Amino acid sequence: MGGSARLLLLLPTRTYRTEDFVEAARTLGVDLVCASEKPSTMEALAPGSLLTLDFADPDGAAASVAEWSTERPLAAVVGVDDVTAAAAAAIADRLGLRASAPAAVAAARDKFQMRQCLAAAGVSVPRFRKISLAENPVLAARGVEFPCVLKPLTLSASRGVIRANTTEQFVVAFKRIAALLARDDVTVTGDAARSLLAEAYVPGLEVALEGLLIDGGLHVLALFDKPDPLEGPFFEETIYVTPSRLPETVQRAIHDTTTAACTALGLTQGPIHAELRVNDDGPWVLEVAARSIGGLCSRTLRFGTGMTLEEIILRHALGWSIATLERERPAAGVMMVPIPRAGVLRGVRGVDEAKATRHIEDVVISAHVGQDVVPLPDGWQYLGFIFARADTPTAVEDALRIAHARLQFTID
Amino acid sequence: MSEAAAPDLKTRVQDLIDTMINPAVAGHGGFVELIDVQDNRVYLTMGGGCQGCGAADVTLKAGIERLIKEEIPEVVEVLDTTDHSQGTNPYYTAGKS
Repeated sequence: MGGSARLLLLLPTRTYRTEDFVEAARTLGVDLVCASEKPSTMEALAPGSLLTLDFADPDGAAASVAEWSTERPLAAVVGVDDVTAAAAAAIADRLGLRASAPAAVAAARDKFQMRQCLAAAGVSVPRFRKISLAENPVLAARGVEFPCVLKPLTLSASRGVIRANTTEQFVVAFKRIAALLARDDVTVTGDAARSLLAEAYVPGLEVALEGLLIDGGLHVLALFDKPDPLEGPFFEETIYVTPSRLPETVQRAIHDTTTAACTALGLTQGPIHAELRVNDDGPWVLEVAARSIGGLCSRTLRFGTGMTLEEIILRHALGWSIATLERERPAAGVMMVPIPRAGVLRGVRGVDEAKATRHIEDVVISAHVGQDVVPLPDGWQYLGFIFARADTPTAVEDALRIAHARLQFTID
Repeated sequence: MSEAAAPDLKTRVQDLIDTMINPAVAGHGGFVELIDVQDNRVYLTMGGGCQGCGAADVTLKAGIERLIKEEIPEVVEVLDTTDHSQGTNPYYTAGKS
């Protein structure tokens, strides 16, 4: 199977996801076409496999691809993050390829639209309110209950997500998000550039569900526990461990709630990445994104005899058979190495010692020496990723913490 | 591949790198070095702006490999041997989006 099937991957120039998706395409033997938002240096020499598309304009991107593909028919299109998922949906819709409807993907991309949609369908979401950045924040704070969480409408990876317990903290967070949205490296437009979301802080454990929608049915690929407390003021993601240690009944409720959320949004095909909180009132949906897990985190996942998450996603988009969606038996986990403070990364030590930690599979330092690094809530990168595999989730979590403690970063 | 054919194939790949690929990737401060050609597989490294670049795999697989295979059909694969973790000036730095 494969060979002549032409697959279009939408790869932002700054995504972590390129290597894994390109490798999956190579493994499947497809005719790979890559599109980015900026021209490749090789585009003029390889116009049959490199494209430049404006991902922020899904309809425009769809029109460009429709014209390009008249002589080069596409079998599938896949976006790798929130922005490209919207463009991929528009392209797929235009060309009759397999994907969720563009309106559903757009609703999942906008946190306000998503909460409206889910609340209307009776899915548990925090109480929420959209606030214009033109409002006086002191007056805006009168309309919310504390503690609350302020967040941009469309950014991901916890960027710009800030807890406020008082009016004073609300005002500080409001101004900080407004400044963040004005940064040159933030490319939000429209309502997302002019508003933020304020919602009730939901106490409880947080989990991430990685799933694949096939013709409207949700298949859970992995449920990750996030063992580090995420209580604010910022919500830095660090450790993900699967399988979940939550009781089976709770995991079933998470599955059911996520299914209800996907149905409410109208998502029917392709990968989803959901974030939920769980407390005595049950699961609460914080996010359902029409994409797979971010960063390099997918490297924790192996299916059947070693198939990667990216292979599964590409096979699904191509309409090819997938032998199994069953994750391998061992527990696995990843630590997204946080940036402790802003500055320039001058050096990294202890990588070999971290790699030598029992159950550690790999340590990838993705930041480069000389790079400006910015911590949350303003930043959007990690220093690197640590991967572990062991018989139990506890052993995985312990290994990740030990390995992380062996890394030393010089930032000044 | 016969031993006699290897130098010729390597020379043709080198010519392609010199005349087409390196002038193109120089636009982002990058360069490509041919390491070897074995069993019709091209081994190369990427340097400068390409080393550690978030788009290096796109440049390699959808650009460089595609061009080399079109121009020299006996090439079956192009493999990157670069240690991208040692890149100090990548053109694009990856982040979680």
